Amino acid sequence: MRKELEAQLAVQLHDEVVCVEKTDQRTIFIDVKREAIRRAARIVTDAGGRYMCGVGYDNIARDGTLGMVHTFSMDQNDYFICIRTKVPAIDPVMESITPDLPSAGWSEREFMDMLGMQFTNHPKPKRLVLADDWPAGVYPLRKEVPYDLVPPGAEDVAYQLDEAPPGTRVVPIGPFHPSLHEPEHFAVYVDGETIKGCDYRGFMTHRGIEKLCQTQVSYNEVPFIAERICGICGSVHATAFSQAVESAGGIKIPRRAEYIRTLMLEIERIHSHLLWLGVAGHLIGFDTVFMQAWRVREQLMWLCERLTGNRKTYGMVLIGGVRRDITSAIADDIRAVVKKIEEELRVIHRAIDKDSSIHKRTKGVGTITKEEAIAWGLIGPVARARGVDIDARRDHPYAAYNDMKFDVPVLTDCDVWSTLVVRVLETYEAIRIIHQVLDKMPSGEIFIELKDKIPALRHAITTVEAPRGESTHYVITGEDNRPDRWRVRAPTYTNLQAVPLMLLNEQFGDFPIIMGSIDPCFSCTDRVAVIDLQSGKASSMTRRELEFLSREQLHRV
Amino acid sequence: MHPTTETAWLLVGTNLLLFLALAPLFDGIVRRVAARVQNRQGPPLWQPLYDLLKLLGKENIDAVGILPFRLAPLVAFASILCVVMILPVAGRATALTPYVDTLSLIYLLTLGGVAVLVGAFAGKNIFALIGASREMTTMIMVEPILFMILLLGVIKTGSLELTTVLYGTPAGDYGWSGLIMIVIALFALQAFVGRQPFDIAEAEQELLGGPFIEYSGPNYALFKYYMMIKQMFYAYLLVAVFVPLLHSGLLVVDLIAQMLLTAVVFLVIGLLAATHPRYRIDQALNYFAGLFVLALGAVAGALFG
Repeated sequence: MRKELEAQLAVQLHDEVVCVEKTDQRTIFIDVKREAIRRAARIVTDAGGRYMCGVGYDNIARDGTLGMVHTFSMDQNDYFICIRTKVPAIDPVMESITPDLPSAGWSEREFMDMLGMQFTNHPKPKRLVLADDWPAGVYPLRKEVPYDLVPPGAEDVAYQLDEAPPGTRVVPIGPFHPSLHEPEHFAVYVDGETIKGCDYRGFMTHRGIEKLCQTQVSYNEVPFIAERICGICGSVHATAFSQAVESAGGIKIPRRAEYIRTLMLEIERIHSHLLWLGVAGHLIGFDTVFMQAWRVREQLMWLCERLTGNRKTYGMVLIGGVRRDITSAIADDIRAVVKKIEEELRVIHRAIDKDSSIHKRTKGVGTITKEEAIAWGLIGPVARARGVDIDARRDHPYAAYNDMKFDVPVLTDCDVWSTLVVRVLETYEAIRIIHQVLDKMPSGEIFIELKDKIPALRHAITTVEAPRGESTHYVITGEDNRPDRWRVRAPTYTNLQAVPLMLLNEQFGDFPIIMGSIDPCFSCTDRVAVIDLQSGKASSMTRRELEFLSREQLHRV
Repeated sequence: MHPTTETAWLLVGTNLLLFLALAPLFDGIVRRVAARVQNRQGPPLWQPLYDLLKLLGKENIDAVGILPFRLAPLVAFASILCVVMILPVAGRATALTPYVDTLSLIYLLTLGGVAVLVGAFAGKNIFALIGASREMTTMIMVEPILFMILLLGVIKTGSLELTTVLYGTPAGDYGWSGLIMIVIALFALQAFVGRQPFDIAEAEQELLGGPFIEYSGPNYALFKYYMMIKQMFYAYLLVAVFVPLLHSGLLVVDLIAQMLLTAVVFLVIGLLAATHPRYRIDQALNYFAGLFVLALGAVAGALFG
């Protein structure tokens, strides 16, 4: 595989390829000159690479450059391919790969904002991550910018929405709207009740997690912060980060710890899918599904409280292993609970399966073709509902998944209904995996003490199949016992980019469920930027003033 | 059929009391039924009344600042109270019934709907506008079904007089057209009361309450009260039109029997609401169109059958 690719690159790019190296079993790094980045990306795509994400990093202190990595996954033969290039910080221009790979759009926009890179021929070079009043020329992920910088806020700056198609009205969904459970803004362009387009302005809950972990904490604390990126798939992020560091540092963790990680990840998947099922019911106005799914989910949260002390945010994963062991008494407890959950979910499943009114609201809704799903690099249940057979647990096995027998449900109806079915079937598979974990778990240690220092400037990439799709973490190890660069790409980051396509020509009434069908997690997506604290000036308004303001606003809309 | 004036005026008061007191209670039944279907305890039966009282104690935020916006809730509430005052509950005409006929009933009901639309359009809020346009489409499709139900009564009894039309249908024989109409009425019930699967205009997850989004405090309470009473009216209408009166001779006994039946209708409303997702407006329109054609058939059957 590596040899073929190397030959291809050499033939087509000649001396623009600087080096090809293989750092571990499944990762190939290709260093190219910046002129060749788009062609290299095309070669890798043609060889079967699926675009995952871009990673920008600041290397100015070492050689005056900014680095950019485009990462790809070869799902057929378990490889990650990372195309690395660098541009001088005084002239940080390179060619955009978005015209070939639409899902790279956000990755490139992110590093325009965060590192001041420029991408020629980018189709939509608008601000993505930073607040609208963030001063130009301050790039928060550059090392020179302190993590706690609070630039002065500015008045009267606003995101310019895309031009609305003629004959349409703009319906503002968000920042606060009951079908979004986090602050995000969609401007939906509707003609009557038909959606003709949509623009997205998100990244409103920036917490600066990456910057914080690159400057303020040490390796061992990062898994706990990573876990707090998301309230639902926390273990996923903690595991992915730990695996990336372990891979970079060449650390082999005990097998029992890998089993326990698998267990926690699958418990999390059941939790997440039941949660989603409830939310989906709520979004189509069917609150009984919502209440019943969450009633079933509740038992799992009680179980987790007994297991880890927390209903969610388990705090189990550490670099080098896990924090708590699973005793045989706890194992029996887990078996009993997941068995009960399976029985109760089957009852709900049967009821939903036959319910023609649910079919009415979900079948043939949010349809995109398999080709479109592949072109946009969709992942997780959203992709598997469109016939794209990928699952990181099977394609790039980690933790103890190579010991597990499970099916990857793939459906071809390409609509919201099939995402629902895929998620329900995956829940049964997760329960199957949990039983296998408990039956096969080897005895031994659950944690290995780190003896040596983790060497600096190693690159590593891992993915973990989160309930919503793969979470990709990229780590460059650093000198002060903390990562030099840590990039998190949650599944929603990828799937959200294709939502405008799913919405096109659908009914406005279907917006909530189509949006919901990707199981969006905005907090995961928003993890990056630096906190923008406003001046904190307290003031109060009279009721008259408020009424006046709201009238003004109405007239403007 | 011709009670003394004093009793007739007393009946106006009784009707008002009855509807104002029971409408929140029946709404409470719907909430409790939904809760039980969802394995929840559910709120107290009087919770809707507490909600109303709470809203009444809050401030009115007048986000629009024009008169129609402020008047709309009053008009809606007043119109539904008028409906209640002319309604011959338990077969007894009130003092106001003789002044109106079946058509006035429909006018008054439509007036309430129009008031909701006026309030929504005055607001200019995009969610209110979409909600209002959905409400309007629903009204255009559903009101004719109500009209057909009453028209069947008119045809069967040969009179436009309200008491005769409402209570005459079961007394005369149903016939197959009457049976079809019962089915249609049941299928249209959720649309009449604006519950799932037809809570399309308010659609919390899409339109955040649609026409009512800009309303708060007492104004919103009036709208809510209006909708509760409207719900009770429609539920009661089915009982009045399709279930024969007890004719016990005592008003109280007849009334209690009918109110118990109305409570049963609310049980059905609650069950249907808890077991259906919301339809999209296009799906709802197809559904209504089907019902409308059936209703036409039933009326034709009554005419020529």
